[in-house]
Amino acid sequence: MNGASPVLIGFLVAAAAILVVMAAIARTTIEPPETQAVVTSAGYQLRKGWLWALAAAAVVALAISLPSFPYGKSATLTGQHFTVIASQYSFELPPVVPAGKNIVFDVTSKDVNHGFGIYDERGHLIAQVQAMPDYVNHLPLRFSVKGHYVVRCLEYCGIAHAAMQGAFEVR
Amino acid sequence: MWAYLVTGIAVFALMVLVGLAMRMEQAHWVTYDPGSFYAMMTLHGSGMIVALALCGMGGLWFIMDRERPMDQGLAWSAYALIVLGVVAVILSVFPGHFGAAWTFLFPLPFVGATWPNWATGTFLIGVALVMLGWTIFCAQLLGCVLSKYGGLRGAMGWDLVFHHDAFVASGRPEPPPAAFAALITAVDGLFAAAGGMLVGVALIIHWLDPSVAIDPLWAKNLTYLFGHTFANLTIYMAIAFVYVALPRYAQREWHTSAVLAIAWWGTLLFVATAYFHHLYMDFVQPRGVQYIGEVASYLAAFPPAVVTIFGGALLIYRSRMRWTMSSMFMYAGLIGWLIGGVGALIDATIPVNVSLHNTLWVPAHFHTYLLEGVTLFVFGWIFADLEVRTGVVSSLATRWIAGLGIFGGGAVLLLGWYVAGAASVPRRYAEEPAPGPAIAAWASVGAILLIAGLIVCLIEAVRLARTRSAAATP
Repeated sequence: MNGASPVLIGFLVAAAAILVVMAAIARTTIEPPETQAVVTSAGYQLRKGWLWALAAAAVVALAISLPSFPYGKSATLTGQHFTVIASQYSFELPPVVPAGKNIVFDVTSKDVNHGFGIYDERGHLIAQVQAMPDYVNHLPLRFSVKGHYVVRCLEYCGIAHAAMQGAFEVR
Repeated sequence: MWAYLVTGIAVFALMVLVGLAMRMEQAHWVTYDPGSFYAMMTLHGSGMIVALALCGMGGLWFIMDRERPMDQGLAWSAYALIVLGVVAVILSVFPGHFGAAWTFLFPLPFVGATWPNWATGTFLIGVALVMLGWTIFCAQLLGCVLSKYGGLRGAMGWDLVFHHDAFVASGRPEPPPAAFAALITAVDGLFAAAGGMLVGVALIIHWLDPSVAIDPLWAKNLTYLFGHTFANLTIYMAIAFVYVALPRYAQREWHTSAVLAIAWWGTLLFVATAYFHHLYMDFVQPRGVQYIGEVASYLAAFPPAVVTIFGGALLIYRSRMRWTMSSMFMYAGLIGWLIGGVGALIDATIPVNVSLHNTLWVPAHFHTYLLEGVTLFVFGWIFADLEVRTGVVSSLATRWIAGLGIFGGGAVLLLGWYVAGAASVPRRYAEEPAPGPAIAAWASVGAILLIAGLIVCLIEAVRLARTRSAAATP
């Protein structure tokens, strides 16, 4: 299962819940009306709970996501380094990178902004970083699965952007 | 200012057709060269945001002009500059074939270009003209709000929040909710325009003298500061329509409260700082701003979710609601805004963004709140005016047909992007890898249904307008 699939399912469940709740609220307009003061008084109490629930959700999301930020600390950038150079419309890539070891892709561009997106054999995007002129972005990674990985450009870079691909093996 | 609204709708209609042509090409229903695809993508991206902004500006100008009359000459000057800018952008694309996307990330417009040099300059000057017109509009709006409500302190509702009892005892009227939308649009709009103008002028200078160096990361930050904020403000301008019109249909009042004022302060801050999420994958950005990007993106959701959309739902709940084309669109727009916001929040979570950044998830969520949010607020505003002037409302059948096209077709169109984004299909590809083309095919069907719904709306709006004309004829 693609890592993004649970995200899609979660999104669809949230969207469906929103639709159900908002439809239910709209449906109350066929019921006998209440005065605005009565509705507001009860609604403001509910809003407090809604605010705290959202705040709690945001804190939890931050707490879960912070340790998984992809940027890497200086200690994690000490593995074997591989240079990646993007240019319109190809990548200079290492042909082989090791499996099961910490590595770092040092990614830059000769010309315009590009994206260095790594796709596994199932076609799932597993990691990415921008390839920028004048800058080097360090992408720390550890491949646990050996195989053939495709690289696609993920920043619009010109007329052959969609055809800009590369590949490497993980052994 | 009907000129803003009519021009905005006209540009919107043209951009819808351009968008359909792009999706059909991705579905392999039609074939044309990648250069044309990317030129159309450039036009669609820049044109659609300007179209929605024009609609928002026209409506907001009308609302605030009733609070404190504004200078028509300035409004027309801003309008003329924006229209000139739009014409320049269109010329750069047809016949210029400029195709560096609305983002025009430096140095793309100048390196490997397949279009003539004049097209690059025309596009950049066009964008600068739009920004100039926008700046004039925002300055005028800011002047209106500040002079009407007693300076920044009054307009922001400072005393309402911190000296509540004294404020109420003073008998001074608080700014209406729409005034907060105007204030935040003006302040954030000027801030964004300053950033946009800076990078725009730098690029124009580089176009004139290629030896002038520009830092790509600096340019990228300013481009997204402007683009993100400008696009977001189209929502916050259009929400003023909901504040004004929806209470009439619910036969209730939308009051300014201290909570509403604080919520808008949050919007002022977070809309201007959330843009960092566009640069999550630029690892050379200072680490701190990446954290700010995620936190600001989360916090930007609080004012709509807790105050405006919640307040809209509360306004409707067990009210004497009159469901018409206008109120249906406005309420549905709140739902679209909320659902699109959920999609945006998911994408704003950095570890998730690794799998979604620059995939079709991005157009999925922004089309949700622009197409099923802002656009519906604009349509709701137009129908509100027509319904008030004519005293006529559309039939239930017409509302169902329009609704099925716009919501049903829209859902199919949007789902295509969400599903393809979750399947890692990149965005901005003239030729998408699988399963992109298959998804684009049924998304195109959704787009056609959506357009059918839009056409029903247009016909109904014309019918109501003609009813008005007939009623006015002695």
